[in-house]
Amino acid sequence: MTATAIQTTPPPRRRLETLLPYLLLAPALITLLVLLGYPALSVLTTSFRELGRGELVRGEVVWTGFDNYLEVIGDSEFWLITLRTVLFTAACVVLTIGIALLLALLMRQLTSGVRLFLQVALLLAWAMPQLSATTVFQWIFDQNYGILNKTLVAIGLDGFERYSWFTTGLSTMAIIATLIVWQAVPFVAMTLYAAVVSIPQDQYESAGLDGASSWQTFRNVTLPPLAPMLALVTFMSILWDFKVFAQVWAFREGGPSGGSTTMPVLQYVEGIARGNFGLAAAISVLMVIVLMAISAQYLRLLLRAQGSER
Amino acid sequence: MRPRKATRTWLSVLAIAIGVVYLFPVYWMVSSSVKPANQITSLAYDLVPLGFTLDHYLTVLTESDFLIYLRNSVIVTVTAVALAVLSGLFAALALSRFRFRGRKGFVLMVLIVQMAPFEALLIPMFLFMRDTNLLDTLPSLILVYWVITLPFTLWTLRNFVNGIPIDLEEAAMVDGCGRFQAFWKVTFPLLGPGLVACSVFAFITAWNEFLYALVLMPSGNGQTLPIFLQSFTSVFGVNWGATMATSTLFMLPVVAFFVIVQRNLVSGVTAGAVKG
Repeated sequence: MTATAIQTTPPPRRRLETLLPYLLLAPALITLLVLLGYPALSVLTTSFRELGRGELVRGEVVWTGFDNYLEVIGDSEFWLITLRTVLFTAACVVLTIGIALLLALLMRQLTSGVRLFLQVALLLAWAMPQLSATTVFQWIFDQNYGILNKTLVAIGLDGFERYSWFTTGLSTMAIIATLIVWQAVPFVAMTLYAAVVSIPQDQYESAGLDGASSWQTFRNVTLPPLAPMLALVTFMSILWDFKVFAQVWAFREGGPSGGSTTMPVLQYVEGIARGNFGLAAAISVLMVIVLMAISAQYLRLLLRAQGSER
Repeated sequence: MRPRKATRTWLSVLAIAIGVVYLFPVYWMVSSSVKPANQITSLAYDLVPLGFTLDHYLTVLTESDFLIYLRNSVIVTVTAVALAVLSGLFAALALSRFRFRGRKGFVLMVLIVQMAPFEALLIPMFLFMRDTNLLDTLPSLILVYWVITLPFTLWTLRNFVNGIPIDLEEAAMVDGCGRFQAFWKVTFPLLGPGLVACSVFAFITAWNEFLYALVLMPSGNGQTLPIFLQSFTSVFGVNWGATMATSTLFMLPVVAFFVIVQRNLVSGVTAGAVKG
């Protein structure tokens, strides 16, 4: 292409050239603005309004300042639910990352046949839709005919005949956590394994020659290259586990007597079931604040990593 | 560092045990779905089906509304994924093949949006759909699933397009192709795997989604399969055989898709978050 050729390009074409990227961007941008940007603003404004079913039908706009927030944080039940959600998230994340890391390290030591078997097993658990997994767990823990109670009776623990696993909030939460961890481990394990595999073998050999213990080898050879990936999967796990609604709701709808109610469930019950939209919006905002608070550390790490790569 | 042989054997045994534990719920779901009904409601201890029957599947397909829910799920999921992949691909091309004002800002926005807890928008989303008369209609779920799957799809496709050198397109343009033709003939065919991977991840997300399906379909019309499954187990006196059959049917397409993208599985999920 010569310079003269460029000068003879007709202007309308050039205008299209400058417009083209914006035209390409438009569908995605408009969708994000209308269905994400607007609701994000709307959740804030709604949280400062008195908005129940009555106001909704009458089309009234009643601004009440921080009343919704004061009402929510003035309720001791809310703090209990917040604490429960944070502890539940922490337990799920720690177990997920811990087990996944052990599995990733284990996979490195296996012969290819055994490793393939383990990976296929993990993959199937990962592929299982959340609701399919939830119904199977309900069936396994079923009071009358569940295989778990049958097994416990079969090995001589007769007390577990027709034992109900859902009489307390704590055991209900524990079973839900088991389900969450069981489904979350495969992805994390595979991700970490991909990182473990890329560590050069000779580093291990030189560590072996230096007479390093297996713990020292793990600390000095395995952990450093894994660290960024560990931070990432921890962060992702916090995000996922904190927001879990389907499994919690499907098990006991937050019961028994509110014993497995978490923040996402509270938001649903307050807003959709009871029709207190203003209050529920305040809960949503507080939920995001809590989530940001517990993941801020990782968020900083990630954004720094992103920034350095660009 | 190679462990000694005895240790290796132990590790293999351990790995197989973990694999068996992992497979158990999947096995239990499928095997319960073909067990005779009287075995399901017996107190005898058994880990294998004592017969093979497709009765539970027949029950689900003929005596329940499964097919209606399935239709809703398929319509919503397929439409939302198509919209997300199309709009995501356009945006990915804009970000990766053009330099324009506001580009960096948009990239940052997508990054942040990817991490946004979408569940926290439940209330305004419900009110929005109510105000636009979309409650209880499939388009409400299509719109929500479109925007849920869009950020990840956009980001991943952008990485894929970035991975295809622009030189190829430029070479084609020197040979007399227009900009669009060059993309269509050169880059698009190479994007195949990326488009498939994105579509599958978006599909699985939408296929599984529960909260919005519950909230945006208050009268029960247009609800999707996850809601159907939950309603199965929340009523008293559950038909476990039929429930397991439904769960198995619900899992089939996901497994099929997992097999298709298994290569990109791990890199696919983290690509959006790791690669800047």
